[in-house]
Amino acid sequence: MMSQPLILGVGIAYLLLLFAIAWLVERRGGIGKLSGSSLVYTLSLAVYCSSWTFNGGVGRAALNGFDFLPIYLGPTLAFCLGPIVIRRMLRISKANQITSIADLIGARFGRSGGIAALVTVIAVVGLVPYIALQLRSIAQGYATLTATSPAPGSQPLPYDSALWAAAILTVFAMLFGSRSIHPGEHHPGMMVAIAAESILKLLSLTVIGVFVVYGLFHGFGDLFGRAAAVPDVAQVFAQPPDRYGFSWIAMTVLAMLATLCLPRQFQVTVVENVDERHLDRAIWQFPLYLLLINLFVLPIALAGRLLLPGNDNPDNMVLALPLLGHQPVLALVAFLGGVSAAASMVVVETTALSIMVCNDVVMPALLRIRSLGLSERSDLTRLLLWIRRGAMAVVIALGYLYMRHDSSEVALVSIGLMSFVAVAQFAPALLGGLFWRGATKAGAIAGISLGFTVWCYTLLIPSFTHERLVAQFIIDGPLGIGLLRPYALFGLTGLDPVTHSAFWSLLVNVGALLVVSMLEQQRPVDRAHAALFVDADNPADAAQIWRRTALIPDLNSLASRFLGRARTQAAFASWARGRGLDPATAVRADAETVLFYERLLGSVIGAASARVLVGAIVEEEPLGVEEVMRILDETSRVIEANQRLEDKSRALEAASAELKRANARLTELDRLKDDFVATVNHELRTPLASIRAFSEILRDHPRLGDAERLEFLAIIIAESERLTRLIGQLLHLSKIEASGTIPAQSALVDLAAVVRESSAAMRQVFAGADVSLDVDIADGEARVMGDHDRLVQVLINLLGNAVKFSPRQGGRAELSLRRRGDEVELAVADNGPGIPPADRAVVFDRFRQLGDSMGERPEGVGLGLAISQKIVEQHGGRIWVEDAEGGGAVFKIRLAAARVPEPA
Amino acid sequence: MLRRTARRDRFIGLFVIGAILFNPPILNLFGGTVFGWPTLFVYLFGAWALIILAVALLSEKSSRPGPGEKAP
Repeated sequence: MMSQPLILGVGIAYLLLLFAIAWLVERRGGIGKLSGSSLVYTLSLAVYCSSWTFNGGVGRAALNGFDFLPIYLGPTLAFCLGPIVIRRMLRISKANQITSIADLIGARFGRSGGIAALVTVIAVVGLVPYIALQLRSIAQGYATLTATSPAPGSQPLPYDSALWAAAILTVFAMLFGSRSIHPGEHHPGMMVAIAAESILKLLSLTVIGVFVVYGLFHGFGDLFGRAAAVPDVAQVFAQPPDRYGFSWIAMTVLAMLATLCLPRQFQVTVVENVDERHLDRAIWQFPLYLLLINLFVLPIALAGRLLLPGNDNPDNMVLALPLLGHQPVLALVAFLGGVSAAASMVVVETTALSIMVCNDVVMPALLRIRSLGLSERSDLTRLLLWIRRGAMAVVIALGYLYMRHDSSEVALVSIGLMSFVAVAQFAPALLGGLFWRGATKAGAIAGISLGFTVWCYTLLIPSFTHERLVAQFIIDGPLGIGLLRPYALFGLTGLDPVTHSAFWSLLVNVGALLVVSMLEQQRPVDRAHAALFVDADNPADAAQIWRRTALIPDLNSLASRFLGRARTQAAFASWARGRGLDPATAVRADAETVLFYERLLGSVIGAASARVLVGAIVEEEPLGVEEVMRILDETSRVIEANQRLEDKSRALEAASAELKRANARLTELDRLKDDFVATVNHELRTPLASIRAFSEILRDHPRLGDAERLEFLAIIIAESERLTRLIGQLLHLSKIEASGTIPAQSALVDLAAVVRESSAAMRQVFAGADVSLDVDIADGEARVMGDHDRLVQVLINLLGNAVKFSPRQGGRAELSLRRRGDEVELAVADNGPGIPPADRAVVFDRFRQLGDSMGERPEGVGLGLAISQKIVEQHGGRIWVEDAEGGGAVFKIRLAAARVPEPA
Repeated sequence: MLRRTARRDRFIGLFVIGAILFNPPILNLFGGTVFGWPTLFVYLFGAWALIILAVALLSEKSSRPGPGEKAP
């Protein structure tokens, strides 16, 4: 038992400490390392764990075993999809300066004020029970600690601790959430304070858990063993088969949707996010936090069942157990943990709700009433703040009234689940809007309002059970129609009320969204707008839909009224600089500038209000079909990406084709090498075989005649010479190839001499083959730098070929030397069969003997042209083959003429 | 492009695995006690921890920009 002033004092001191933290963070400009870190982001997400977790979870576990857990498994699953769903919410919200979930849904469906207001109203109504839950939890805790009456709401008003809790929380919510207007609705101080509270929640529950398990019992084994021994308690975890069914699944789904749709979760996850990368951390750290905070829930619940058998309210076991163990300090820590959980929930939830009420309901309405003349007022920031504070007070007051009215027998968790079903109604429109282009405004409105109606009918109205009328209504249905009983709609029984309501409301909601959206003919402009949300990879540079113009001074004065003159000017100056405009001279605002102002305003008063305000001063032009098509095209970045992918694959194809060609070339070279080896083998073996054969004859027949002996020896010598020649050529080729492009010898060579020398050397051969050889040496200098002997070799080789391919009768060859500009041309022509164009490139390959294709095998080894080409290349020249005049082939060589100094 | 799609698919895969593990009827397979601990307690927290671990590994691995990829 503790004194009331002590508990009150500690509680208020704790809240003041939190406020001091928030104040310090914001005074430092909120740019400290702490605020805006991924850790603070993750911990602020833990605002999910309200006093429902802290006190209600234990109560639920004590009664039903494990089914407190789906509420935390759901968010874990939702965050598995975080990189897809939450990231898209983040990007779109950043790009459109979204300040709440109502804003987001409103912006998706054509910046419509109506749907945002609808969402806001549902959120307020749906969350009233949830706020009532927090107030009751604090009051219950207070009652447990002070051992006063455990039933809050039954005391006369001035003595009701819940009323005081509500009043104190209202003040703190106003201090945290609506001290000033922040652009983008960032509250860095509040975030750090919430993070601190999250740490305290976790520590507090863990300390109590450790105390219960190791202080009141001898470890987990002892606790579980003793629980198993009591049949009544053991049934909590020794469940019969099929204990958990639809209700478990429903809770998982509801929790999953609530993580995305609860206004306070949207506030901390999306609106307060300063860096998208924090999400990568949070998607596993937040579920980890949930796991840790739930680790001791079941052990505490079991201990409570064992040690507090007569306890009529299991929700306060967390406080009662330390008191039982005579640890008042621990009980106080537990109380503070509960206060933290409740306070953080109430502060963030009411902040989010007040922003929604102010931006999406009150301001648009006030701005529309022209007689108020609001659009002409010069400074509206104070008005905005007071609207928000008023909204906070109203929401908390509603929560308090609901708590007093609601029967106190209902467990905390059941009240919370009611709110979960209500906010889950936003999910179809939200997710459908983000991922389905075809979702229309009418569909969303139909879905949300029908779902909400079903929720009211099956959960909210029946929750006022102590009204006699309502009790009768639950049992018999309206006007005695059994089919419409709120807990067994259309005769659906066997489900608990929450599962029952979740099933019907979400079924109706999704059904209406789908059917209405699909039946409705979407206007092109709506289609384009939807495309911005659904297809845009980066909505920040999505195209502008509305073709609007306005005067910049008008826009400027409008924005100044909400943001202040200095801030507006600074924002516009940096925007204008970014677009290359001169802020001093620009007068007419184009569509993008209008959008900029609308978003700037939206960051303070919400998209719906901003649209109303800006709409009053802009001129809007209808959108042409072409523009819509352009937007549809532009936003389909997927198509563009596909295009890029195709380009890449084309490049890949080209590369692989090149590789294929290279491969074919390699295969060809490989085949040539095989041919080469085969040819060399053949060429070497033939002379060797005849040498051997004739040598054997000479050895075995000593009585051979001299004439024959001489003949055989001549053959042997000839064959040996042929071998020597072949080996010499091979060595020569490899030497040339090894030496690269550097000429072996570099001296001034007189080509006329080369021509004369080579023709003289070949004259005998030509005469023997009966082929005439004409030598034509033009006048003038024809000198090159190079190797005389090698050039002679080239010409001899070409002349040899000419002899080989000239016809047996009437063969004619010509060797000419001409000057061609800076170059000297050598040509060797014959009147043979010529070389078909297809073969001209390959005749210079090694062992490429064209004789093969001509039916007869010419003599020689097929290295001559290859060697010639190498030599010419070494001289920096080129060699090729073309058709000779009057049939036959002509091999031409061009070499750079040497610059000879003029003789003085 | 491919990399991002693969990452996305893995997160969806984890979601599906989690949804199956965390819900009945798989859940109802675990009853009674193991070494004096409630089996369902051990199972649920174990499976939960595993899913978190997998998400952590996937997220931390892929949030580092790979070669040739711009930091977000």
